[in-house]
Amino acid sequence: MTKDSNEILAWVAEIFETPIEKIRPETKRDEIEAWDSLGILTLIARMDEDFHILLTDEEIQRLRSVGDIIDLLNQRDANPGP
Amino acid sequence: MRFLFIDRILKLEPGRSIEAERVFPGDLDFFRDHFPGFPVVPGVLLTEMMGQAAAMCLNAETPEKGRGRAILAQIRSASFRDWVRPDEKISIKAEIRTSRPELATAVCSAEVRGNKVSTADLLFTFLPMERSAADGRDEVLESFLASSGRVKDGSHG
Repeated sequence: MTKDSNEILAWVAEIFETPIEKIRPETKRDEIEAWDSLGILTLIARMDEDFHILLTDEEIQRLRSVGDIIDLLNQRDANPGP
Repeated sequence: MRFLFIDRILKLEPGRSIEAERVFPGDLDFFRDHFPGFPVVPGVLLTEMMGQAAAMCLNAETPEKGRGRAILAQIRSASFRDWVRPDEKISIKAEIRTSRPELATAVCSAEVRGNKVSTADLLFTFLPMERSAADGRDEVLESFLASSGRVKDGSHG
């Protein structure tokens, strides 16, 4: 796993207020308690604020695991901000 | 007790920023408990007050966006830096940072006599208008819009 991936995992853990040990690329959405409707709003807001990524409804629907978030950020060539 | 914690809007750029003020009168019941002998405005009310200001800023542009009434969904952070005593005038500022169909975020602050007493980073979602009372009104916002020659029908700029 690259350093960037670790940073993204930490970023995801922060968003979903989940211990980082429980956040792996293979972690499914339904395994993260806070990945609910509020969690999705938080994810959308942080994508915008931290990476200037405006998620479409289709992209939101396609996010089913932490790996999907990582893939999306890599596709957009995003780097976590400070 | 009304759950309305904004007395007056001073400046408004719909969907972008707002300045408002509030005084919590010393005869409010909760000051007897918070705290006995040392009454101060509860931080949760300061947070709600800032949230209401930001929501008014968002609601002022809602006719164009058509996304409903802004409601607080998450207190992302909040800090209380100094006591706010009864009858002190609180100056409130809110700036909308993110505004999308499904959510908005705002950074807010409250000051007393130029001294910052509280800050908050808030996230809002929107309650569809059909789920609100048909005659539900925001009298503070309507009063400001009327006094500034704007009406809440989307014609304001």
